Amino acid sequence: MSLLRVQHLSKRFSNAGLPAVEDISFELGRGELLALVGPSGCGKTTTLRLIAGLERPDAGEIHLAGRLLASAHAFVPPEQRGVGMVFQDYALFPHLTVFENIAFGLNGAPPAERRARVSELLRLVELEDLAGRYPHQLSGGERQRVALARALAPQPSLLLLDEPFSSLDADRRREVRQQVRAILKSLGATAIFVTHDQEEALSLGDRLAVFHRGRLEQIGAPDKVFHEPATRFVAEFMGGSDFLPGRAAPGGVLTELGLLPQAQSANGHSRVDITLRADDVDFALAESGNAVIEERFFQGAFQVYRLRLDSGVALHSIQEHTVLLPVGARARVFIRAAHPLAVFPRREPGAAASQ
Amino acid sequence: MAYPQMDADLLFNLPRRHSGANLALPLAAGGVALLVAAPLVYIFLRAASAGPDAWQRLLQSRLWLLLANTLALALAVTAGALLLGVSLAWLTERSDLPGRRWLRALLALPLAIPAYIGAIVHLALLRPRGGLIPQALASLFGQPAPLPAPVGFWGAAFVLTLFTYPYVYLLSGAAFRTLSASLQDAARTLGRTPWQTFWQVTLPVLRPGLLAGALLVALDILAEYGTVALLRYETFSSAIFVQLSGRYDRAAASVLSSVLVGVAVLALWLELRLQGKARFTQVEAAWRPAPLAALGAWRLPALLLALLVVSASLLVPLGVLLTWSVSAFMQPGTLAQALRAGSRSFGDFAWNSLWTSSLAALLAVTLSLPAALLAARHPGRLARLISRFCQVGYAIPGVVIALSLVLLVNRYLPFLYGTPLVVVLAYLLRHMPQAVRSSEAALARLSPSLEEAARSLGRTPLQTFFQVTLPLALPGLLAGGALVFLTSLKELPATLLLRPAGFDTLAVRVWSWAVEGFYVQAAPAALFLVLAALLPLSFLLRQEPIFR
Repeated sequence: MSLLRVQHLSKRFSNAGLPAVEDISFELGRGELLALVGPSGCGKTTTLRLIAGLERPDAGEIHLAGRLLASAHAFVPPEQRGVGMVFQDYALFPHLTVFENIAFGLNGAPPAERRARVSELLRLVELEDLAGRYPHQLSGGERQRVALARALAPQPSLLLLDEPFSSLDADRRREVRQQVRAILKSLGATAIFVTHDQEEALSLGDRLAVFHRGRLEQIGAPDKVFHEPATRFVAEFMGGSDFLPGRAAPGGVLTELGLLPQAQSANGHSRVDITLRADDVDFALAESGNAVIEERFFQGAFQVYRLRLDSGVALHSIQEHTVLLPVGARARVFIRAAHPLAVFPRREPGAAASQ
Repeated sequence: MAYPQMDADLLFNLPRRHSGANLALPLAAGGVALLVAAPLVYIFLRAASAGPDAWQRLLQSRLWLLLANTLALALAVTAGALLLGVSLAWLTERSDLPGRRWLRALLALPLAIPAYIGAIVHLALLRPRGGLIPQALASLFGQPAPLPAPVGFWGAAFVLTLFTYPYVYLLSGAAFRTLSASLQDAARTLGRTPWQTFWQVTLPVLRPGLLAGALLVALDILAEYGTVALLRYETFSSAIFVQLSGRYDRAAASVLSSVLVGVAVLALWLELRLQGKARFTQVEAAWRPAPLAALGAWRLPALLLALLVVSASLLVPLGVLLTWSVSAFMQPGTLAQALRAGSRSFGDFAWNSLWTSSLAALLAVTLSLPAALLAARHPGRLARLISRFCQVGYAIPGVVIALSLVLLVNRYLPFLYGTPLVVVLAYLLRHMPQAVRSSEAALARLSPSLEEAARSLGRTPLQTFFQVTLPLALPGLLAGGALVFLTSLKELPATLLLRPAGFDTLAVRVWSWAVEGFYVQAAPAALFLVLAALLPLSFLLRQEPIFR
């Protein structure tokens, strides 16, 4: 049963400009972690703010646990929604201590209960020792956890996180990310978080929703979105995609690497691009091959090779870290993927290499 | 040689990389601090040695009354300025008030008008007998219309609120502008209504700016002489003035001064306490300005309020001064008097005002540099102490500076006595804090690595200062200088008490003519004074967070 239902949500900020969000629909189940991912300005933060009630939609409806939060006729203000939010800049109240910040959402509760709840949350985010500090006395990671505890304190039915890790430096980010996911999962919390980092979205979300120019391009399980991108944008944005031109043929797509049966022709288009990731591509040294090894990138656990096909198309191939092959050598490239490959209509000339 | 060096490093908390620092800087800064703090200390010494009978006399008679009067006025004006300043700042920074761009500038400009000139104008307009508005109303309705006269407590509170609210307005306006929208959003998602959010989050976050503004207003009121004297409301400052100029009872004046300074120090201490630990430097990467609040049906009343304030504090005073000046120029007799007092001409007053204020500004900025450099580059206990000492002028009203200088100069620097330099010295001591704060802020913004780069490229410390530090910090230093110039130009009581015989400034001339009721005659000088003050003020307003 779905906890949150978003239907045909639209919002534009200025009359002249493009809509910030256009016709967004999705549902979210109880206990689910959804990642909204996309480049900056794609509408993911606006979607989050619409759900929180910090913006009013122009059209569409939002239901939370069966209750109508926003529609053309109704608007529940943010303070009555029971939706928690962690802000990108954390928005910790600078005039309040860590304790008071976390207790801020608990007004109305008896003092003893407030104290108990705050202590419980401080324990949860492992900040018991810092209860008396002010926000400016905390490190970035600590602020992040205080913001999380503050949002969780009133036990919201839905938690929203706006770029929650973007202010942390790279090595702290991975660690805090895992901490936060563990906390949310241990509480069985339902949460939506916004990120522009595909890796973050893939590793943190139970499902992810890819936004592009105010539209929801695809929503689904991370592996599904990664391996079966619904649009060319998703394929590009979710990372590491090369595009190999081909021509629809009976039983697959005909390319310079031969007939690829894993690729199914897209909607009757004859000229297509096949999405290939580094793990789909393999090669062997061969003087009579169809490509040149152009560059090798050592990534620690593995090597990534960039191969230039004779047609000029570049493909990447991932290899074990022990595989050391000379740059400049000729190679025969072939496709090792056993899963279906995503195929899109050919992009107009310029972006992709010509055949 | 190695030992003193090490001691110095420990004492000033020098970072390791600043090896080779010498003692010249702390010595210079300390010297300036002593110079600035001396008058304050001297007043307390004199008060302590005034003898029990002087205290007794004052305690029995007027001290309590004066204390109550002064505190009541300071509280009323501070509260009024807070209310007016914060609501106007909210309207021009956070709402869709029509014309807010223009109002933003106009609402800050009354700072250029000394409160006593404002009081002259409002008195001329409103006083029951012979006031311009009652007269107009009487000729309109055929009978005298009863209007409240702007005198006494409420009159002083009204006029002083009108001319001090810009401190609060500017500081809270800056705070509103840097306030991140996500704080308010966060409060909303945590269950607060917009109204609760304003009281529980917005106002507390603005607190540092509000307190700083309130402090400036309160200290201004404690030091105010011209307005309260004109509107016949007795405070410490006016009582001390009378003791000094009329009765010439220096012992009584010392006692009164020490109590007044005590009140000012209390205000400073209170502000420091209330600021507390929560120092709110919290602009983060994802700062987002809040959307403007829609006033809806309140747009018109809000606009009327803003226009009313602008009129009463800026347009009407300027208009009246202009009208008077024009009519002064129309009447040859009055014109001759306006441009001449005894053997002195208008040019003399103007020149005297300008050179004393400019010299005070120049000296204040120059002398603020050692303390500011010490605070910015070698922060530590000693730097903080010196910086605090350099800022005691805040707590010393003009009349007290005057008393202290009269006594000190008479005794230790007789060659200065009876020269205009004593006036300059008073301006310097009183307004030094503004220069120190501006210079500290300007130098703190400069990364030390700039100076280190210059050193690594072969410049000596002195060359580095003149070729790198000074040019980069110059805008901030000029802002401090402009502030000192502005406030010195407006300074009345110290000038009145310390000027050599026959040494008139614009402020002195305006005041002398106005107390005798020659408003039209005083108008050209007053107008020139306001225009001269508008110049540095507009420079200051262009570089915003100056009053911090």
